[in-house]
Amino acid sequence: MIPLVLYVLLASTMFTIGLYGLLTQRNGIKLMMCVEILLNSANINLVAFSAYLPNVNGQVFALFSIALAAAEAGVGFAILIVLYRLYGTIELDNINALRW
Amino acid sequence: MYQDYAYLIVGLPILAFVLTIFLGWHLPKGGGFITVLATFAGFILSLGIFNEIYPDGGIVHQSMHWFASFNAGILIDPLAIVMLLMVTFVCTMIHTYALGYMDGDPGLARYFAEAGLFTAAMLGLVFSDNLLQLFIFWELVGLCSYLLIGFWYRKPSAASAAKKAFLVTRVGDVMFLAGIILLYTNMVKLNLTLPDGAYLLQFQTIYDSLTLIPPDQLTWIAVLLFGGAVGKSGQFPLHVWLPDAMEGPTTVSAMIHAATMVTAGVYLVARMFPLFYAAPNALMVVAYVGGFTALFAATMGLVMFDIKRVLAYSTVSQLGYMMAGLGVGAAVGASAVGVSIFHLIGHSFFKALLFLCAGSVIHAVGTNDMREMGGVLKSMKWTGLTMLAGSLTLAGFPLTTGFFSKDEVIVTAYEHGALGMGWLPYIFAIVAALLTAIYAFRLWFLTFDGEPRSDYKKHESPWIMLGPLVILAIFALFMGMPSQENFYDYVGNNFEHYGVDFEELAVIGGHHVEHGAHAVHEPFIIKILPIIIGVGGILIAALFYSRWKRFDPSMITSERDPLRHILLKRYYQNEIYTLWFAEKVVYGIALFSNMIDLKIIDGTVNKISAILVGFGGTLRKVQTGVIQNYITAIVLGLAVLLILIQLASMGVAI
Repeated sequence: MIPLVLYVLLASTMFTIGLYGLLTQRNGIKLMMCVEILLNSANINLVAFSAYLPNVNGQVFALFSIALAAAEAGVGFAILIVLYRLYGTIELDNINALRW
Repeated sequence: MYQDYAYLIVGLPILAFVLTIFLGWHLPKGGGFITVLATFAGFILSLGIFNEIYPDGGIVHQSMHWFASFNAGILIDPLAIVMLLMVTFVCTMIHTYALGYMDGDPGLARYFAEAGLFTAAMLGLVFSDNLLQLFIFWELVGLCSYLLIGFWYRKPSAASAAKKAFLVTRVGDVMFLAGIILLYTNMVKLNLTLPDGAYLLQFQTIYDSLTLIPPDQLTWIAVLLFGGAVGKSGQFPLHVWLPDAMEGPTTVSAMIHAATMVTAGVYLVARMFPLFYAAPNALMVVAYVGGFTALFAATMGLVMFDIKRVLAYSTVSQLGYMMAGLGVGAAVGASAVGVSIFHLIGHSFFKALLFLCAGSVIHAVGTNDMREMGGVLKSMKWTGLTMLAGSLTLAGFPLTTGFFSKDEVIVTAYEHGALGMGWLPYIFAIVAALLTAIYAFRLWFLTFDGEPRSDYKKHESPWIMLGPLVILAIFALFMGMPSQENFYDYVGNNFEHYGVDFEELAVIGGHHVEHGAHAVHEPFIIKILPIIIGVGGILIAALFYSRWKRFDPSMITSERDPLRHILLKRYYQNEIYTLWFAEKVVYGIALFSNMIDLKIIDGTVNKISAILVGFGGTLRKVQTGVIQNYITAIVLGLAVLLILIQLASMGVAI
C-alpha cells in the first residue's frame, strides 16, 4: 500500500501549483483551471484520509466537492463567455469598468 | 342637571366647526346657522347652569386625569359663569349678524367654521380648571384670531396684519408660558401631598399654596403672567396689533374686541387675582400699565379718521380701564375683580354693538373713512340710533351700563390714591374718561350728523343685521342699572369658594394699609366728577363736530401741529417697532445667528463629513478589484497565522 504521506505530498504539490497559477495568471480560463486544481488537491486528501481511516465520510465529501466544482465551472465559464462577447477578451486586467 | 352637560358649551361650537368646515360648502349660507345654533345652545346651557348655581352660591367642578401631575377639567364659578354668559350671548348676536354681513362671500363656510372654533376656544379658556389647560385654549384663541384677521388672505395688508397679531401676541405668550413654568417649578419644590383629585396647576391648588411660595418668586410669576395678558389684551407696549386687526371682516373685529380675544388677558389676571394680590409690586405694574394704556390709546382715538380704528383704540383704552381696575385692587381687595369684570361685561356689549353698527355703516356706505360719510342717520335710522346708544354708554352717560362700570373703576382708582398708593391710575382714568366721551361722539357726529360729504349708497341694512343691534343696544343701555350691586357681590366674592384668605395674602404681600370695601370717604365732587366729565365730553364733541357746531377743529390745531402729527402717526410706534427694532436690532441678531449657524454649526458638520469622505477616498484604493491581490493577501495572512501557531506550539511567547 502506498504510504499516506505520498498522497499528502501529491495533494500539497497540486495545491501549490494551483495557488501559484491563481496568483500569477490573468487569463480567465487559466484561473478557472487553477481553481479546479486546488479543489482536486483537496479531494485527493479527502479520499486518501478516508481510505486510511476506515471511514466513508471523506469519500462522500469528495463527491460533494466534485459536484460543487462542476457547478462552479458551469457558472464561471458562462460568465467568461458573456465577458468575451462584451469585451472581446478574457484578460481580467482589462475588465475594470466598476473599479475606482 | 344642566351642569352635567357643561362640556357641551365648548363641545357644540367645536362640532359646528367640524360640520361647517367639511360640509359648509353644500349648505345654504355656508352652514352659518349651525354655528349660530351651537353658540345659542351654549348660551342656554350657561343660563341653566347659572340658575342652578346662583341661588345657593355653588360652583361646578369636574376634573379628570391627564398625565401624572395634570388634569383636564371644567370649573364654573361666579367669575367663569358671567364670562360664559357674556361670550355665548355676544357671540350669538355677532354670528347672527354675520349671516347678513358676510352673505355672498366665497369663503363663507370657512368664516363660520373659524368663528365657531374661535368661540369654542374662548369658552374653553374661560371654564378651564387649571392653568395649563387655560394656556392651551389661550393659544387656540390666538390661532383663530390669526386665521380670522387674515380671512381675506389675498389682500396683502390683511395677511400682514394677521402675521403681526400672531407675532405680537406671541411675545406675550412666551412670557405667559415662562410664568407657568416658574409657577410649576415652585409648586414642585413645595412637595405638596395632594388630596385625591387635586393636581399641581389646578387653580384651587395654586390658591392654597400661595402662602408657601417665596414672595419674590410670586412677584416674578405675576409679572410674567401679566406679560401674557399684556400681549393678549393689547396693553401698552404690545397693543400695536389690535388696530391693525381691523383688516379682517368687521364681525371678526367685533368678536376679537368684544367677546373672544382681548378679554382673555383681563380674565387671566382676574382668575389669578389672589396671586397678584400676594405680589403687590406686580399689582402696581398692572395698575400703572392699565391706566397709562387707557389714556395713551384714547389720545390716538381722538384723531383717527377710519371709523374702525377709532373703535379699535377705544377698545385698547377700555381694556386699560379693566386692567387698572384690577391693579388698584391692592387698595380694595377682591372686590376689584367684580368691578373690573363688570366693566368687561358691559364693554363687550357696547363694543360689539359699536363694531356691528360700524360694520352696518361700512356695508351700506362702502368706505371706512369718516371724512366721506356724514348725514348717514337720514338713510340708516336704526343703525344710527343703536350706535347712539353704544356711544352714550361708551362715553359714560349717566344711568347707562358704561356709566356704572367705568364710574366704579374710577372710584376704585380714587381709593387707591386716597390710601396713599399712588394717584396716577386715578388721573389717567379720569382724563381718559373725558377723551373717551369726546372721541365716541366725534365718531358719531362725523358719521351720522351733518351733510353727506361724498356720494355714497343710501340704504338701511337687512333685519338680520339690525336685530342683533337692537338687542345689544338694549343690553348696552340698561343692563347695568338693575344688576350692578348683585354683580359686584357675586363676582367679587368669587374667591371665597376656594377659601382664599385675603388678609393672610396681604401679610405676605406686605400691604400696610387697612382694607375693607369703601373704607375711604369720597368727597361729593369725586362722586359726580365722572358724570360731569362724561356729559362735558359729549358737549365738547358736539361743539366741534355736530350740526350745532360753534368751533372748528382747525381753530385749535392745524396740519402742521406737531402734537396732532404725533397722534396721527400713532406716536411713531410702528416706525420704532419696524424700522428700528425689527430692521436694526432683530435683523442684526438674525445676521449674527445666521453666521453662527453657517460657520460654526454647519461648519462643524461639514468638516466632520469632509474628513470621513477623505479617509474613505484613501481607503478605497485598497479595494483594487483584482482577485490576485486579494488572494495574495489571504495567502500571506494564512502563512503568518500558521507561523504564529507553530511558534506558539513550540512555546515561544508571542
